[in-house]
Amino acid sequence: MNGWFHGWRAAVRIARRDAWRSKGRSFLVLAMIALPIIGVSAANVTLRTSELSVAEKADRTMGAADARLSDAGYGGVPIYQAPNGQDTMPVKSYEDQPYPDGDADTAKAVPAGARVLKDTSGTAKVRTEHGSLHVNVRELKATDPMAHGMVTLLDGRFPQKDDEVAVTGQFLKESGLSAGSRLTVRNMDRTYLITGAYELPGDLAANEVNALPGALLTPLDQALEAQGMSGTGQNTTYLVDVPGPGGFTWNMVEQANTKGVKVESRAALLNPPPRSEVKLYQHPDWVDYDSSGEANTAMLASLATIVGLAMLEICLLAGPAFAVGARRSRRQLGLVGANGGDRRHIRSIVLAGGLVIGAAAAVVGTVLGVALTVALRPLLEDWLGKRFGGIDLRPLELAGIALLAVLTGLLAAIVPAVTASRQTVLASLTGRRGVRRSNRILPVVGLVAVLLGAAIALYGSVVTDQFILVAGGSALAELGVVALTPALVGLFGRVSRWLPLSPRLALRDAVRNRGRTAPAVAAVLAAVAGTVAVATYQVSSEAEHRAGYEARMPSGAVSALLTQGDGRDASALRDAVRRDLPVDLTADLGRLTVGRAGCEMYSEAKGCGYVEVVTPKVNECPLWVTDADGNSASDHMTPAERRKLGKDWRCTAQAGSIGESGLVVGDASLLKVLRIDDPKAEQALKEGKVVSFHRPMVDQKTGKLSVRLVPDRGEANEAAAAEKEPPGKVVALPAYQAPDSVESYDVGGIVPAAAVRQAGMTMAPLGAYHSTDALPSSRQRQKLDQDLDRLGADVDLYVEEGFTGEKSIVLLALTVFAGLITIGAAGIATGLAQADAEADLKTLAAVGAPPRVRRSLSGFQCGVVALMGVVLGSLAGLLPGIGLRLTERRQSEKWYSEMLDQGGMADAPYTPVVIPWQTLAALLVLVPLGAALLAAVVTRSRGALARREAG
Amino acid sequence: MPSPQPVLQLQQLARVHGTGATEVHALRGIDLDVHPGELVAVMGPSGSGKSTLLTIAGGLDTPTSGRVLVEGTDITTAGRKALAALRRRSIGYVFQDYNLIPALTAAENVALPRELDGVSARKGRTEALAALEEMGLGHLADRFPDEMSGGQQQRVAIARALVGDRRLVLADEPTGALDSETGESVLGLLRTRCDAGAAGVLVTHEPRFAAWADRVVFLRDGAVVDQTVRSGADSLLAGQGSGRGGRGQAVER
Amino acid sequence: MSIRHGLLALLELGPRYGSQLRSEFESRTGATWPLNVGQVYTTLSRLERDGLVAQGGEDDAGHALYAITDTGRDELRSWYAQPVDRTSPARDELAIKLAMAVGAPGVDIREVIQSQRRHTVQAMQDYTRLKARALDALESGRSQERDDVAWLLVLEQLIFQTEAEARWLDHCEARLIRIAAASAAAPPPRTGDPAPPPGPVAETARPRAGRRRT
Repeated sequence: MNGWFHGWRAAVRIARRDAWRSKGRSFLVLAMIALPIIGVSAANVTLRTSELSVAEKADRTMGAADARLSDAGYGGVPIYQAPNGQDTMPVKSYEDQPYPDGDADTAKAVPAGARVLKDTSGTAKVRTEHGSLHVNVRELKATDPMAHGMVTLLDGRFPQKDDEVAVTGQFLKESGLSAGSRLTVRNMDRTYLITGAYELPGDLAANEVNALPGALLTPLDQALEAQGMSGTGQNTTYLVDVPGPGGFTWNMVEQANTKGVKVESRAALLNPPPRSEVKLYQHPDWVDYDSSGEANTAMLASLATIVGLAMLEICLLAGPAFAVGARRSRRQLGLVGANGGDRRHIRSIVLAGGLVIGAAAAVVGTVLGVALTVALRPLLEDWLGKRFGGIDLRPLELAGIALLAVLTGLLAAIVPAVTASRQTVLASLTGRRGVRRSNRILPVVGLVAVLLGAAIALYGSVVTDQFILVAGGSALAELGVVALTPALVGLFGRVSRWLPLSPRLALRDAVRNRGRTAPAVAAVLAAVAGTVAVATYQVSSEAEHRAGYEARMPSGAVSALLTQGDGRDASALRDAVRRDLPVDLTADLGRLTVGRAGCEMYSEAKGCGYVEVVTPKVNECPLWVTDADGNSASDHMTPAERRKLGKDWRCTAQAGSIGESGLVVGDASLLKVLRIDDPKAEQALKEGKVVSFHRPMVDQKTGKLSVRLVPDRGEANEAAAAEKEPPGKVVALPAYQAPDSVESYDVGGIVPAAAVRQAGMTMAPLGAYHSTDALPSSRQRQKLDQDLDRLGADVDLYVEEGFTGEKSIVLLALTVFAGLITIGAAGIATGLAQADAEADLKTLAAVGAPPRVRRSLSGFQCGVVALMGVVLGSLAGLLPGIGLRLTERRQSEKWYSEMLDQGGMADAPYTPVVIPWQTLAALLVLVPLGAALLAAVVTRSRGALARREAG
Repeated sequence: MPSPQPVLQLQQLARVHGTGATEVHALRGIDLDVHPGELVAVMGPSGSGKSTLLTIAGGLDTPTSGRVLVEGTDITTAGRKALAALRRRSIGYVFQDYNLIPALTAAENVALPRELDGVSARKGRTEALAALEEMGLGHLADRFPDEMSGGQQQRVAIARALVGDRRLVLADEPTGALDSETGESVLGLLRTRCDAGAAGVLVTHEPRFAAWADRVVFLRDGAVVDQTVRSGADSLLAGQGSGRGGRGQAVER
Repeated sequence: MSIRHGLLALLELGPRYGSQLRSEFESRTGATWPLNVGQVYTTLSRLERDGLVAQGGEDDAGHALYAITDTGRDELRSWYAQPVDRTSPARDELAIKLAMAVGAPGVDIREVIQSQRRHTVQAMQDYTRLKARALDALESGRSQERDDVAWLLVLEQLIFQTEAEARWLDHCEARLIRIAAASAAAPPPRTGDPAPPPGPVAETARPRAGRRRT
């Protein structure tokens, strides 16, 4: 044991001096290992620091109070609660009935003699410099000592009068307002003076307005009610300070629970009662929904995978550096051998190199990580949106992370260590490059892994449809390819015979020095394989999405529809769009209304109704018909019948969804905007007929389209619950059915204004469709957004841009990442090769190689490594990508046929397998080319010339 | 043995390393002509300037003053590229070490200057094979340097130094790393190449190897102090009327 | 001594007559040491006297043939087995000359050394040329192999001997330069100074003072 220790100490000393002597290489490896360590340790510290202690959390939720009482929302029936004050449940079991609903009187639950602070919150819309903003309003006397810790004053002061407010810093930033300006609340004739800015430590991104109790929400509610609009949704909780040292005890909590009030108590949070005393946990209906254990396992597994892959990648990148180090100090190792060191000692010297650099990287990485976190704390807090507690360093976790660095260093040095120890002492001393026989076991293991992995993946994608099998098999096969790399690199050497001089030299050199080439190639391979696999999958599914994309309008068209309000803002909206966007044609749209004026869409207010299309019985899809008992007709059909019906027009036709009914009020200009070229439809509109794009809507016998004018939505809902037809007058309108080939997008039918009047219906403006000359630019759209903000109306603005791939950024990032890894790995291999090739370059110069050969050689050395890596990686990546897609295809085909059997209908699934040519081209051509050029550029062409000293 | 034009001419060649206090005169006013078919050995102790002479003659270094004419062209004024081209086409180098490129086979190593000169790989290989064959090294063509002995490597290096139309071989201690017998065979090969018309300059401090030369130049402190001239006949042994004489005449040129 | 044993060695191959022995001897040693027939016969008669050879008839042309006796064979064996005696070195003119030149007035000893070196190297060149021819002959496979090999060995002996001489001259020169430099740098030389090791020193550490010469 002691001897072992001393042996290691000598090894570490030698390794330390070696590392110091070749500073460049050591620094490179150190940086590679330390970088992820910096990231992980910074993440660890950030995570731990942002995780608040229970006491810190309590400070933020209840300030200096002992407890916060709030309504459990069960209408005041007795409840059980968990000590955290969040999980609750009524005492009584409501097996089949719904839970009671309603408000409890929270104030009643406050124990006698306690001091109370009301904390009421609601929402409001306020005017800003740019338009309007939805904000949270909090009525709380923030200056009360009990509120201390919940809010932090940044600037100015908290409100003292009823017409004063304080706002969050975030709100000031977003609204463009500042302290001293006046805040206007929409739908209310009052303004408030902004006296100061504050922040919520737990939510820095909150847009909040603080007012004195009763100063804002109550008058706003009154104003809203007067205008028939929904209220602010006030919700009041009570901060409670009880006399006595025990705080708000668990007993008092249970007391409050009997009144349907839940309590977050500091005492219960800090010293939770034993589980046996918590009645909630004893309740038979209680299910612990905390499934975080499972989620954690999955997250840990994926985290471990990522860290594992990163370590593998780093080992592959750093390995060659150690190999070259070992090669450099071969004579020294030989001397150790000649002086009685055995293989174990030589191994330990090279391993100690990994240990030394790993340990240095561990120290540097963790220290920098922690320092970075501390230095960047304000930025991190902003980014995460909450203030941290005290910096929380967990020595054990940090040590674990540091250990990871040491482990990485050691792992990277293992293969070179074994290789170095295998060399005979004589070969080491004479510097004779012995015959390089590559390891025979590794390729066999690799081949077995490839075959086994491929078989599993094949089984997975052909016989079953288990993703996990495909993914697992592919991963195994890929690891196998990595193990096979040295052998494959050897195969590449075969082609060198027919290459011109520089590439031949580079390739031969790479093949002969597999010790440094193979790990670099493997590193490239792993990165590229992952990228190509994801790219294949991504491009294929994007093709699928593109095929499945349904445009809402003709390409380039703009829809600007009001989603709320009675349509007053429609003309202003239309003007804004016409002003800001390159609009060509505009078609104003209206919606059919029933009931009193001023009703919003989907409003359930009294006296507000809606229009619905009555589909004639013969046009209904038989699959959906239900009999009196509520049984579906399709239950009695055979799969064949269902399949047949699945293709029937009554079942396949798509109804429009615009407005409430799919019908809009419009004229011939709408046809133009929708690019519908049908003179008959135009004619029909002129004649006051409805144009239908949905065949089942029109009764073919009468040629009419019927709508039901439902006067009150509430009544209609009751009727529906009773399975009755909703009340309302049915009006039949003369209609023209457009051919099936016409694409009408969202519009189910167009009702001309004349028909509306004729049938005695009412209408309200809905907005407009616009066609454009050119796709609106981002700048134009920003301008419009600003104008719409100023308008203050709720607008659904949609610009039809056709299909845009959403995740192309991910793909690009992956490609760039793989490219960087490739260039990095190839660069490292090249640097090492160059260091090795100094003698050869001298010879070349003496033989009369032009100066540029030095450059081109290093370029080719880099390119060769990159090319081998990307070629192997692309092959290794395409297979799992294609395999996954094939599995998906099988799966969706299975689903489709099952669905057809059950009478569902859908388009036949389209699961294409698309080769990501762009990514492949970038990786196969651009990246090696770029790597080669880069290497050539950074290589000095001068310097190889042997200026031998006179001797 | 006068010849119309020397392959290599050194005229008043001087080279000073460093300046001021550290100034060292490596060469001072060297005059030397090397004719086709002639092998000249440069002898001298360490520091006498023999290696400097060779590097300057090959264009790897530039003289402080004086001229170097290779096949009549002054190379001291040539640029880097022109010098490289010169080394590909006119001058062959053989060093004690750093000779063959380990990643290339013997044939490829020999073809190297030709390929660098833009000759197609196939033609280069043909020429290289011919050169190797001519020197009795044909069986080594597809071996890599580390599969050959030191002597074989050095002989391949000589083949490389002479492939193409090059007629000037500059050899810097080519036998330094070899044992006596192997060194001998390398020198023998160099001798043969010179007999076949090449001009050679051999730098060595071993008299036994220098003795293979037609002319031995003694260098001291950067200057030529003396030289042997090749005797017209076998001065020591010829004319003694032995049975040996006939054989001697048979090889007389 | 060596002619005596040389003739014995030739006779061991079979009976020979006088002039035949002479020509064979010369072809073995490349005429390096020429013999005349008289010398051969004198030696033969001495050998006969000592009982090492015996007259054994005549050949077809009437030459008297000599054959080796058993005693002669024994003598030959012990000659091969014994190393050549080196205890009493032969007088060497060159060594005597250099020894005399040290300190001789009006004589530049370096000049003496250089002119000798030129001569020595030139001799080596000649030997080497002959050797190249011998090698050629050996490789081409013509003529008697044994004679060529023997001649080659003799030539190489000469080459190595001259080489030793050349090296010795180099060494002398280096040593003289060192001594001159030492006496120039430190006029009273300490007598107890151990001499620096020869050979390698002259090769590697070349005194700077030497540069001013020539």
